[in-house]
Amino acid sequence: MLRDISLTLTAGERVLLVGPSGSGKSTLLRALAGLVDSVDSGDLSGVVELDGRAVGSRPGEVGLVLQEPGAGVVAATLARDVAFGLENVGMPRADMPAVVTRALEAVGMSDLPADRPTSQLSGGQAQRLAIAGALALRPEVLLLDEPTAMLDAESAEAIRAAVGSVMQQGITTVIVEHLLGPWVPLVDRVIVLSPEGCLVADGPVKDVLAEQRAWLLELGVWVPNAPVPDALAPPVDALREPRAGDIVSASTLHVGTRAVLEQPIEAKAGSLTALVGPSGGGKSTILHALAGFVSPTQGAVSIAPHTSAPELARTLAWVPQWSSSTVIATSVLDDVLVTTRALGEESPQSLARARALLAAVGLTHLEQADPRTLSGGEQRRLALAAALHHGPPTLLVDEPTIGQDRHTWAALVGLVAAYQGLGGAVVAATHDRHVIDRATTVIAVRPPTRSPAIRRPSLVDRCGPLSLLLGALLGIPAGVLSPHWSTTVGVIGLQLLLLVIGLGRRTPTAALRILPGLLAALSVGWSTWWLARDVDAAWTAALRVLAVVIPAAALIPAIDPDALGDHLAQRLHLPDRPVVAVAAAVHRVQDLGAIWRELSQARRVRGLSASWRHPVQLGRHLLALTMGLLIRTLGSAADLAVAMDARGFARAYRRSWWGTAPWRWADTALVVAWSLPVAYAIWAR
Amino acid sequence: MSTLHSSTQSSTVMARSPLMTWRTVDILTATMLGAAFGIAYWGWGQLYNGPITALKIGYAPLMGLFSGLWFLAGVVGALVVRRPGAALLCEVVAALVSMLPGTEWGATVLISGILQGLGVELVFAALGYRRFGLSVALLAGAMAAPLEWFFETFSLPAGGGGWYADWPAGDKLAYLAALVVSGALLAGLLGWMLTRALARAGALSAFPAGQEVLESRAV
Repeated sequence: MLRDISLTLTAGERVLLVGPSGSGKSTLLRALAGLVDSVDSGDLSGVVELDGRAVGSRPGEVGLVLQEPGAGVVAATLARDVAFGLENVGMPRADMPAVVTRALEAVGMSDLPADRPTSQLSGGQAQRLAIAGALALRPEVLLLDEPTAMLDAESAEAIRAAVGSVMQQGITTVIVEHLLGPWVPLVDRVIVLSPEGCLVADGPVKDVLAEQRAWLLELGVWVPNAPVPDALAPPVDALREPRAGDIVSASTLHVGTRAVLEQPIEAKAGSLTALVGPSGGGKSTILHALAGFVSPTQGAVSIAPHTSAPELARTLAWVPQWSSSTVIATSVLDDVLVTTRALGEESPQSLARARALLAAVGLTHLEQADPRTLSGGEQRRLALAAALHHGPPTLLVDEPTIGQDRHTWAALVGLVAAYQGLGGAVVAATHDRHVIDRATTVIAVRPPTRSPAIRRPSLVDRCGPLSLLLGALLGIPAGVLSPHWSTTVGVIGLQLLLLVIGLGRRTPTAALRILPGLLAALSVGWSTWWLARDVDAAWTAALRVLAVVIPAAALIPAIDPDALGDHLAQRLHLPDRPVVAVAAAVHRVQDLGAIWRELSQARRVRGLSASWRHPVQLGRHLLALTMGLLIRTLGSAADLAVAMDARGFARAYRRSWWGTAPWRWADTALVVAWSLPVAYAIWAR
Repeated sequence: MSTLHSSTQSSTVMARSPLMTWRTVDILTATMLGAAFGIAYWGWGQLYNGPITALKIGYAPLMGLFSGLWFLAGVVGALVVRRPGAALLCEVVAALVSMLPGTEWGATVLISGILQGLGVELVFAALGYRRFGLSVALLAGAMAAPLEWFFETFSLPAGGGGWYADWPAGDKLAYLAALVVSGALLAGLLGWMLTRALARAGALSAFPAGQEVLESRAV
């Protein structure tokens, strides 16, 4: 990736690292952080030293902020996430709050409550949180990997302000960016890497930008004050005329707690509607609503719910921000043809058109490559080509220009413009100022104003994770020890009573979680009757399942992953590192569920349906979704590993803990209460 | 320079020693793969409940033919991370996560996860965590079944699931056979194929399985 790079940074220096995508900027940053071993492979030679000793001797001395907001989030709340590095170096709990407060102040987040859930942060806030997490460990060097690439202009400005204040503290700072302009006033040195990973220019920012300007432009770097690139028209035969059909539209919308659209969308043939708003503020959600993936809580969209996959593909195309989600075939060329084939419209002309599309987005040389091995920017271009090949009347596209250099930007924008020219309607979620300038209509999306959730705590919320887990496990002896169904009925009665007392108003949702258990009970009872022909035994077996399931359905959802980590490590003395990893994984369960849904929607919108009436097709469908989910999971595990190691997790064998692990009277009460059904079962024997 | 080997057979790459010293990416990958499988179990369940219900109404022991999918997490965890405990950790997290949306079997899922993970782990441990080929994967998938089978078909006083304790012995044995076959194919074979596909897609470059692909390409 990188070759023969030799660099010396002096203390307090502020450096901008520039190079085309694939030149190894991120690898160089990981090397500077002493983290090349964390996830990279290949042959490694050379050394990185800080003040003459190997880098990373003191945990956190080199802080690292990743490109994707939230990629390095470890904990459920703001303060706890900042404290992660402090836990890793074993700082006493009492000393933590002061450090955390200072770090949050330094990035301008002290106005947020310390217990604000990290899942509710906007993209910009998540990036500032990552900087605060690095600052808590008093770094001598701070490395930022395209910290604003995925953010809107206002959030990006807040990040630059935070980085500016870090620089004021005299911390050596290295920033990787492809949009140079806004950073130029903040830095004093620029380093340029060539596409081959060699160092080609290094010097004061003004000099390098002046001397290398022409060459940088040729590389596609967004040099400050360069004119906006001209849209590049695709080959004339790359696009077919959009098919006849209704263009997607929407009234004003509310989508649950996630997004508000205050102006209707009435896209017309040939128009470009830009959805704008803060990162993490609901733009993607509005696109989901337009495609019929989520139902708005208020307002209406033109697409009917439960539209069949082929019908959906004929109506619209959708390119999500994670364009790897749309990868379906095993070669780039086949991937472009997926929808056209699913609709049964393949012809010699369509093959020629696919090749012309690939030429338009600069992927001709990768025609036979596996799409999953492409870079992020290449996948984004492929996804757009694949979305347009079958000529849908509407294109929904999410942040299409992120991470593109000037050349590929011009090609993408040119392709979209040509599609508009043929009568296509485009709705784009974007924070790219130059794309917004081209829009026919600009519509703002905002997150709903949150009224602080008034969730009255139930009794179970006063209990810690260990008593909840123990209570759930007590369902097992309660079920197994019941000798006959007549006893089990009593056991279940007691359990339901405890459930209602413990959950109060939340009882109905717990009842829903018992449903799968009810089905399992039916199947166990049925099979026992069918095979053993014993009605009594069948009833006993069926009710036993319910007695086991009810406590778990009542108590497991109340377990908080962070608290579970606290207790497993501090009370049960399980090893620290696996415990933290389990908590981090459980945290991301929501995200993983969202990825699964996105992958399945991406297939549907490309005309591929699945049902168990076609077992082979279904098998292929499930395998593809599983592969997609695993690839994304492996990617985020690698990112998180880098982020955690940068905060001293690699050698955190004896951590301290931000949270305490108390055993309260409520825990005892819970265990005693859920022992009652077990006691009753034993008594009845 | 290292000598070039001319053999076409690519050699097995082991995790960097000492095997017990897990890198952060090892731990996170084992747990997050577990969580991903927990979600996948839920996703699959939505689509294959139809045929499985048909089996339950017909000859119930045959439903074991689908159960191998539940052993998949352990096999893939072990094949990717290649360290002691990876199968167990991955399978237990998968079990934990699959309990969250709503539960068919209550907290016994956690015990099942431990038993299945243990079965897989034992096979890799017996081979000293040195062999990760197809035959080992098939064996590991099959060995996830026996402990789980015992747990489901025998009622132990203070712990067993014993759902099918009242089935006649012949049907219990048929269920074991179905579980073993399913484990070998749906966990062993499928797990091995998934791992290989992930390596070829470049998703395992930080792991021995990905290294093998890179080295075979380099030759």
